[in-house]
Amino acid sequence: MKRILISTIAVSALLFNISCDTDFDHDVSSIVVSKGNADFTKYVALGNSLTSGYRDNALYIDGQNESYPSMIAAQMQLAGGGAFKQPMMPNNTGGFTNLPGFAGKLNLQVVNGALSPVPSAPAAALDNITAGGPYQNLGVPGAKSFHLGAAGYGNMAGLTTGKANPYYVRFATSGTSSVIGDAVAQAPTFFSLWIGNNDVLSYATSGGSGVDQTGNVDPTTYGSNDITDPNVFASVISGYVNALTAGGAKGVMANIPNVTSIPFFTRVPYNPLTPALLGSNITALNTGLYGPLKQALTAFGAGDRINLLSATASNPLLIVDNSLTNLSAQLTLALTPSLGAPTAAAFGQIYGQARQATAEDLVLLSTSSVIGTPVAGAPASINVNGISYPLANQYILTKTEKNKVLTATAAYNASLKAIATSKGLAFVDANAKMTELSAASGIQFDGVKYTATFVTGGTFSLDGVHLTGRGYALIANEFIKAINTTYKSTLPMVNVNSYSGVKFP
Amino acid sequence: MKKIVVTTALLAGMLAQAGGFRVSLQGVKQLAMAHTSAHAEDASVAFFNPAGISFIPSKLSIAAGGFGINSEITYQNASTLESFSTDNPMGTPIYAAVAYKVLDEVSVGFSFATPFGSTVKWPTDWAGREIVQEIKLQAFYFQPMVSFKLAPWVSLGGSFIYAKGGVDWTKSLTQFGGNLNIKDEKATGTGFGLGFYFKPSEKLDVSIAYRSPVDMKADAGVATFDVAPSLYPLIGLNASGQDNFKAVLPLVDEYTLGVTYKITPKWSVSGDFNYSGWDQYQQLTLDFENAPVGNQAGDPTVLVSPKNFHSTQTWRVGTQYMVTDNFAARLGYYYDESPYEDKDFIPETPSFDANVITGGIGYKWKGLGIDLSGAYNFQTARKVDNSYYDFYGQAKAKAYYFGLGLSYNAF
Repeated sequence: MKRILISTIAVSALLFNISCDTDFDHDVSSIVVSKGNADFTKYVALGNSLTSGYRDNALYIDGQNESYPSMIAAQMQLAGGGAFKQPMMPNNTGGFTNLPGFAGKLNLQVVNGALSPVPSAPAAALDNITAGGPYQNLGVPGAKSFHLGAAGYGNMAGLTTGKANPYYVRFATSGTSSVIGDAVAQAPTFFSLWIGNNDVLSYATSGGSGVDQTGNVDPTTYGSNDITDPNVFASVISGYVNALTAGGAKGVMANIPNVTSIPFFTRVPYNPLTPALLGSNITALNTGLYGPLKQALTAFGAGDRINLLSATASNPLLIVDNSLTNLSAQLTLALTPSLGAPTAAAFGQIYGQARQATAEDLVLLSTSSVIGTPVAGAPASINVNGISYPLANQYILTKTEKNKVLTATAAYNASLKAIATSKGLAFVDANAKMTELSAASGIQFDGVKYTATFVTGGTFSLDGVHLTGRGYALIANEFIKAINTTYKSTLPMVNVNSYSGVKFP
Repeated sequence: MKKIVVTTALLAGMLAQAGGFRVSLQGVKQLAMAHTSAHAEDASVAFFNPAGISFIPSKLSIAAGGFGINSEITYQNASTLESFSTDNPMGTPIYAAVAYKVLDEVSVGFSFATPFGSTVKWPTDWAGREIVQEIKLQAFYFQPMVSFKLAPWVSLGGSFIYAKGGVDWTKSLTQFGGNLNIKDEKATGTGFGLGFYFKPSEKLDVSIAYRSPVDMKADAGVATFDVAPSLYPLIGLNASGQDNFKAVLPLVDEYTLGVTYKITPKWSVSGDFNYSGWDQYQQLTLDFENAPVGNQAGDPTVLVSPKNFHSTQTWRVGTQYMVTDNFAARLGYYYDESPYEDKDFIPETPSFDANVITGGIGYKWKGLGIDLSGAYNFQTARKVDNSYYDFYGQAKAKAYYFGLGLSYNAF
């Protein structure tokens, strides 16, 4: 009996030992974070609004605290990284009271029963915090590629002429310094460079109001909404990277997302005119406007510009497309017999380059507040924006304009990749990540699904262009992955869900 | 030897859980012997096999007991280097059974038990909070039963199962900046139990039992969204931020084959094999009345979460030694499988392959018996590899159980 008992216990013990790994192989608390062959003691971040932590159409403290460079710097500090100082705004609202065009952050509010972003008043005048520097987050909202190298971009005197940027004025080391100069002066051991969005973005967000400067290599002649020449782009970036790496610094670069992935261009559909919205006006519009227009346009071989409004499906917006042949004179002539000369002339002028939007046009987020509103100065019968009156150029990024943006973006991204590769730098395909985010499946993190959907997708802030803390955290992780891959470091990822998203009222 | 057995039993100490949210704690005496089933000494056999009540020596037998479950689960993420442990309250499954011999050949009985349930409480800031912050699942089984002695050595029994229970589940709604609680305390379901009990000789007991699945239907669930009121219209909630939901939670069936052999009049050895039909739990469907928080293309109010459980086996071996006529010492060991793979790991019902050591003592005095038992659950640490939730890491757990049982007309 004793024997049997003993052998029973022995068998039990044997079984038990086979599968008794009750503890973790490596407890995370005992894992040592390695810097690999990088040196994180002095990390500087260069870039634009995305680098500064800008969101909700403003730079403010909460956003800065959740900038992706500060997230990366915190992880670097686990592997010998030094302090990371940001040029903090004086308040949590943002904007500048003494400069026109710099409102405070957008807040989500219930307006007429629907959630809408509402701008707030700026909270303080432009301050100067140069004395508190140097700063390691050198992200300057609004900066284009060539601005980082522009001496005097932080000179207060240049603000009125548009040669300076108030965000850089705040912390520029002198009236003649450049962002890149301020960075190099700190002798960084590691840098991140994510610049170039604004070289196409301001063109896009202005509905293509600027000029595509491809071929013009003198950026001093550019307007603020122009597309930067890709050769200028490649050359300035290459110069920055040479300057930053001259002292042996290592770094990471990111490419720029194309505009079709951000809610500012995807939120408002090209065809928001539902039968419910148009109601009984459909018949009147078809007989009084769309029908005659289509008939006249068809006669000039441009009948595909306009189709009759449907009473069952959602209808496209009426827009102006500057790339169309201007048929004003022809329309005037054709409509004169039925409408009389003065009215026909007005119609011809208004609809000469009009067409209905297609799925290939992008309607700006800001356009949503204009659709359906009366156009001042237009005849009362045809003054409804987007319905009877074509939306002006600045409200729509047409297919032609969009293609200019995409072409430039692709050229920029090719240069960025080539420069990073030639210097052996880590590279983040931010464009691919944003495309993934804008897909229906989105990106999941610990059970939370993130998409590029405006407000409820969780990653884009209320301006539809910049990210939330969670969106920036997704990007920070991409930077960290790229750094770890290239430099064999083991910086931990950040927990995306622990940062802030859109705040609901 | 006597001393050693007793000491080991006390050391093994205090405690049994099985895969998923099945809690195998329905008899204190049984737990001490690895929760084996072929023991017809008192009414506690009723839950295990309705046929067993025919072989209880006394005309009337009553047994009742309760357990304490202490468990802790730790999750860590090697990529963020975060680590979180649960703060579970003590689980307290209870049971009570009564059996009465109406005629020599006919016995009736009643069993009350809590065979399914779990309470898991994670820190509110933990990584998997979108899946679960806190969950309480509970099912009470009420089983009236009758058993017939077909011959002096074999009986057949059947029971009706009325189950009542509830779910109380809180998870984070990160995108809405709040939480969701779904709750139904009035879920019910029905099922049955069936068994044969053989006693071909004084030395041998054989128990064959089947307990049917029970579909717990939550028809009057309330989903409370703790989010900003400005979101109520968007989510289709009423003025108090609530919506209704329906769901069905399967409590799975279990086949049991148990044997007890008396090696000497004082010493018996028991073995059990359980097969649990967890493959019935392929997905959990929450059907909300209005809230479009689901994931189905055709109906945005329906949330389907894959579970992909598979059926499991449990192997049990236990022994009892009568140290004196009144005093019993018991030991056991069982191996219990987790019903899901690493890729289906879900933190609301964390589960691990487990080796469990059990032990206990019993004392009887005239018609009264008192039993103590304990078990320590050595759960195998595992990977969390759930791509459905993009939830990765490692998990480990520890648990121990202790139980106190009383019986009337024991042994």
